[in-house]
Amino acid sequence: MDVYKRLVVNTLIKKDNDKMKKEIPILLGLIAASLWYLEFFFAGMFFDNLKIFFSNGLKIGGVVGIMIAAYSVVRQNYYKIKYNNERYYSILRVSMIILMIFLGVQRGTAAGTPFSSMFFNVYIPFQATVFALLAFYIASAAYRSFKAKSLESAVLLIASVFVMLSKITLGEAMWDKIPVIGEWIMDAPSSAGRRAIIFGGYLGMITMMIRIFFGLERSHLSE
Amino acid sequence: MNILEKLKNLDRRIIYLLVFLSIIIPLIPGFDFLKFPVSASKETKAIFDEIEALKEGDAVHIDFAFTPTQKAELLPFFEAFYKHCLIKKLKVFIYYGASVNGMGLGKETVKKIMNMEEFRNLEEGVDYIHMDYIPIMPNIQIFSMVSDYKGTFKKEGKIFEGVETLEDIDFMLGLTGSGWHQAFIDMQIRFHYKFALAVTAVLGPDFIPYYQTGQLVGLSNGLRGAAEYEKLVSEKYKVDYYGSATKGLSSLTFSHLVIFGLVLIGNIVYFIERKKGGK
Repeated sequence: MDVYKRLVVNTLIKKDNDKMKKEIPILLGLIAASLWYLEFFFAGMFFDNLKIFFSNGLKIGGVVGIMIAAYSVVRQNYYKIKYNNERYYSILRVSMIILMIFLGVQRGTAAGTPFSSMFFNVYIPFQATVFALLAFYIASAAYRSFKAKSLESAVLLIASVFVMLSKITLGEAMWDKIPVIGEWIMDAPSSAGRRAIIFGGYLGMITMMIRIFFGLERSHLSE
Repeated sequence: MNILEKLKNLDRRIIYLLVFLSIIIPLIPGFDFLKFPVSASKETKAIFDEIEALKEGDAVHIDFAFTPTQKAELLPFFEAFYKHCLIKKLKVFIYYGASVNGMGLGKETVKKIMNMEEFRNLEEGVDYIHMDYIPIMPNIQIFSMVSDYKGTFKKEGKIFEGVETLEDIDFMLGLTGSGWHQAFIDMQIRFHYKFALAVTAVLGPDFIPYYQTGQLVGLSNGLRGAAEYEKLVSEKYKVDYYGSATKGLSSLTFSHLVIFGLVLIGNIVYFIERKKGGK
C-alpha cells in the first residue's frame, strides 16, 4: 500500500508531476481492476450499468490505440524513407496505406468497391501465401535437422511420425492402429505436458496480476 | 560427389519442388484416385452432435476470430458449420472478434452461402446477424451483448428476441488460429454456455486438455476437422456440402508423406555417415 500513500503525498501535498505520471496510472489500474472484479462477482446486484461503462471505455481506448499505432507506423516509415538505404519497402508500405485509406473514403468499403477488390484480390492472397510458405520451410528444416541423434530425439521422432500419419487419411488405410496410437500420444503424454504448461502459465499470471494490482509491477508503465 | 554427399547437401529448391508437387498434383482434375476416405474423429463428431441436439430457433454464437492467413484451414469448417446451423433453422450470431481483417472474409463467405438456392429465403436480422468487430478484448464482449461498434444491438431485428446476454446462447463456436478463445473458456463458469472450438492444426494439442475436462464440448482440428464436418453434414442431410477441405485433404496427405519421406532419408544418411565415422 506504500505506493498509494506516496501517490497521495506526491499529488496532493508535493504536487510532483513526474511521479504523478507513474502513480496516477497505477491508481487508475487499481480502481479499474477492483470494479472489474466486483462486477464479475456481483453482476445483476449492484453493477447493472458498469458493463456498458467498461464496454464504451474500452472501445474508446481501442480507437485511441489504433490512432497511436497509425502515428507510429507513419513516423517509423518516415525515418526509414529519410535515412535508410532500403527505403523502397517503406515507400511501398506508406503508399499502400494511403491508397487503401483513399479508396475507403472515396467509395466506401462495401462489396464491389475498389477497396473491397483490393482486400479480396491482393491482401487476402498475400496473407495466405505468406502463411503457406511455412510448409516449404518446415520440409527443408525437417530434412536437415530432424534426426535421431539421441534417445530423446529418437522418441520424439517416432512419436511425431505416428502423429503425422494418424492425421492423414492414408495412415488409416496403411494400418488401422495408426490413428489409435496417434490419438493416444496426443491424449496422454502430449496432453499431460500441455496441462503442466497451462498450470505453470496460470500461476505466473496470477502472481503478475497481484503484483500489478498492488503497484509492485511497473513494467507496463515503461519503468 | 557420391550419392550420400548429394543427399546430405540436397538443394533446398528440390525439397521445395517436391512439396509443391505433392500439394498441387492431388488438386488437378483427373487425380481423384488419390483421395482416401476420411472418418470423423470423436472431437469433431461431438460438435456435430451438439448442433443436432438443438431445436429450431435456438441461438448459436460464432466467434469468427481468424484472419485470411488461416483461411485455408478454418474457412471450410465455418462454411460447413454455418450451413448445418441454417439447415437446423437455428438463429446464428456471427461476431468478428479478433481482427477487422476477418470481417470482410466472413461477410463475403456468408453472402455466398446465403445466395445458395436452399437458403435464399432466410433474412439477416431474423435468421442470422453479423455483429461486426469491437476493438477490445473478448472478455467485455462475453460480459454482455450490449453494443457493437454501431451501437445498434437489439435494434437490428427479431433475432435478438429472447437473447439478452450470453447466458441465452445455446451453443458457441470459436474459430481461431491463436490463443484468443482462452477467455471464452474461462468465462464459461459465469455464463454456462456450451463452447466448442475449430482451430488450426498446429493449435490442436493446446486445446485437447480442455476437451478432456469438458470445458470444450467439441474440437475441430485443422483441415482434417473441416473435411470431417463436411462429410458429417453431407451424409446426414444427403446434400453435397463437400468443399475445399475434402479437396485439400489429399494435398495434405501427400505433403505429409513427402515430409515423412524426407525425414526418413535424412535419418538414413545420418546413420550411414555415423557408421562410417563421419560427423
